[in-house]
Amino acid sequence: MKRIIADVGRCSGCRLCEMVCSFSKEDAFAPSTSMITVIKEDKFGLDLPIVCWHCNPCNVIENCPQEALERNKEGRILVKEEKCVGCKECLEACVIGAIKLHPEKNIPQICDQCGGRPLCVQKCPTKALRYIETEEQEPRLPYQVFKETLRRWGISA
Amino acid sequence: MPSYYGYAGRILRINLTNNEVKVQHTEKWLITEFLGGRGFNSRRIYDEIPKEVGPLSPQNKLIFSTGPLVGTAFPLGARFNVSAKSPQTGILGDSNAGGHFAAEMKFAGYDQIIIEGKSRKPAYVFIADQEVQIMDAEHLVRKDIYETTEMIKKDLGDKTFQIAAVGPAAENGVLYAGIFANLTRTAARTGMGTVMASKNLKAVALKGTRSIKIADPRRFQKMVEEIEEETYTHPQYWPRRTMGTTRILMLADKLGFLPTRHFTSATFEHAAEVSGEKLAREYNVKNRACFSCIVPCSRIYVIREGEYAGLLGEGPEYEPLSSFTARVGNSNLSLALKAVDLTNKLGLDAITTAECIAWAMELYEKKELTKKDTDGLELNWGNGEAILTLVEKIAYREGFGDLLADGVKRAAEKIGKGKEIALHVKGLEIIQADPRGLKGYGLGYAVASRGGDHLRSEPFIELSDDPEKGVEMFGVPEATFRLAYKGKGKLVRYFENWCAIIDSLEVCKNLAGNMELLPLKRAAEITEAVTGFHFTEEKIFEIGERIVNLERAYLVREGIRRRDDYLPARFLKEPLPNGNSKGAVFEIEPMLDEYYAERGWDERGIPKEATLEKLGLVDVAEQLSKSVRLL
Repeated sequence: MKRIIADVGRCSGCRLCEMVCSFSKEDAFAPSTSMITVIKEDKFGLDLPIVCWHCNPCNVIENCPQEALERNKEGRILVKEEKCVGCKECLEACVIGAIKLHPEKNIPQICDQCGGRPLCVQKCPTKALRYIETEEQEPRLPYQVFKETLRRWGISA
Repeated sequence: MPSYYGYAGRILRINLTNNEVKVQHTEKWLITEFLGGRGFNSRRIYDEIPKEVGPLSPQNKLIFSTGPLVGTAFPLGARFNVSAKSPQTGILGDSNAGGHFAAEMKFAGYDQIIIEGKSRKPAYVFIADQEVQIMDAEHLVRKDIYETTEMIKKDLGDKTFQIAAVGPAAENGVLYAGIFANLTRTAARTGMGTVMASKNLKAVALKGTRSIKIADPRRFQKMVEEIEEETYTHPQYWPRRTMGTTRILMLADKLGFLPTRHFTSATFEHAAEVSGEKLAREYNVKNRACFSCIVPCSRIYVIREGEYAGLLGEGPEYEPLSSFTARVGNSNLSLALKAVDLTNKLGLDAITTAECIAWAMELYEKKELTKKDTDGLELNWGNGEAILTLVEKIAYREGFGDLLADGVKRAAEKIGKGKEIALHVKGLEIIQADPRGLKGYGLGYAVASRGGDHLRSEPFIELSDDPEKGVEMFGVPEATFRLAYKGKGKLVRYFENWCAIIDSLEVCKNLAGNMELLPLKRAAEITEAVTGFHFTEEKIFEIGERIVNLERAYLVREGIRRRDDYLPARFLKEPLPNGNSKGAVFEIEPMLDEYYAERGWDERGIPKEATLEKLGLVDVAEQLSKSVRLL
């Protein structure tokens, strides 16, 4: 399926993706309501956007006690809001930590890829985000990516 | 609480003496008359910090403010100002930084955070939306900026907190210590870190889940798209992305205003070896950006070989790079990176630190200082090891470093030497651009409300040497010639007002100003689209003018007059010895006359009553007239 893929070498950590995401969903700017989140390690100058990979199989779907998550025909994971009780199990279950709860609605926010035309990808100033077809069913772990990057730069950490 | 567009709508007041926390709403008159950021802070300082308050007394207040465009998808708004009475200059202390702190402050829900009093024990402030706590910081005492930031994140178990911290230099009472966000985003000028440490405050850690709303989203989006298009196709886009402001170094060398060996030369024979080009080519590994910015002009470098191999850091920008190379006569780029890293870690203002070292080096080279005075350090131009040692000695106030830790003005007074070559205005060390080769900049240093600094005016247009620009903007062709005097009063007045707007909207001066992405008309329009308050080009320009006049009124109340609007004797007496501005000196009096007249100030440099009244500063005029006769 098509997935949003982030390039650690290109990401400047500006978080514009978080801004455009939250605004498109909520008409207000707030990282807390964005479905994409840039993790940052200032100490090493590293930045990486984290967003649902729509893994298949998905650890979060399997671990949801309320069975509040399902996969649609495009392969995207959706939250059934009426079933979710805000128990936060999903926060721990996601292997890359891509899920946060909406601060008011208290339900997990999972990237819907803007229905196939992700705005974050369109607006990324450094083209660090791409929306492309990949058969990789699981994403690479963020801190693994950071470690590899540092190794490439010749930094031991 | 009134709900605003653009603004967070709240002002947070924290008293460290009695742990009292208050939230007030952001008043409408403050918004329409002072915009935000620097404007908010200057008004607050004028109103709440009277003459008798000492900079290091608990009565001084440390004030953080950000602006209405910050925390949105506006592509160049990520900054905050931090202000207080300055321990370095005794007058208006104010510094500005980018990174990610300002946006988080908005998401936490605050336009301004006022810190009052003094904590009995070392503390840091924790802010998460409405939750505000004063936390114990005993374990953070004397920790450097990097350690402090990492330790707080670890304590809170959350890496997403934005932290502004002070380092050991501030805790040791160095008068020019800064406040550092994101490790290297420095609000370093005028000793704001020193004020913070005097309150026993080690850091502010904040995070928020609140949101920023836009009054007219469609207009906002349309304008942002226009700005994006202009930015991506701008001739400065790639040079900035590759080099940030370090691209200036070679240009300054070529035009003959690159301060070298403490301004005894205007070109540096090793410029190419320490240039932004070389940094980009041989050290940089990636780019970084401030919050929501589309020009990632900050760069991560790695030193791959030599003595400092393995050092990774962010930056540096032109000022620290040029300060630790040309200014001190150092041709070793890796060493300069190490020195800047050290000033960041210890929490020092790199410009002032380098001026103190360069001043001492000149005296040493002239044999007015000897090894006996310098703890055995051989302060010859470019002695790298001595530079690094001295940075540490300053931060810890050890031996000779203790003398330099009070800044170059006090150091010269203390030893009774080098007064004529102590390069500061009003106690603030001047930056890395020789005013003899840039008359408008020089006038800007002389009159800047925070002392010898370019960011109050930055009249970059004079570098164009284009008479048509001068005629178009000011009716004077010479106004845009960098070596001419005429029209500079007009030039500096205009750019000072513009910079005050930029600092109050908390947008980036490089993009808004130098890249001309936010001319007055657009500044008014975008502010209107975001906030819903009515702004016009004229109205927003008047806000800039009001802020500059209010700051001047504050300075006048503190005793500042024409005699303080000067440049150091070196620039007035010694012609530039070499380079493309060879022979130039600086003649200040005619420029001051023109500037004061343009401003509506009298010959003493005091705003006239009518000037203040016209700007709606009637209360200021009334109050000021109690201590000085207004014309």
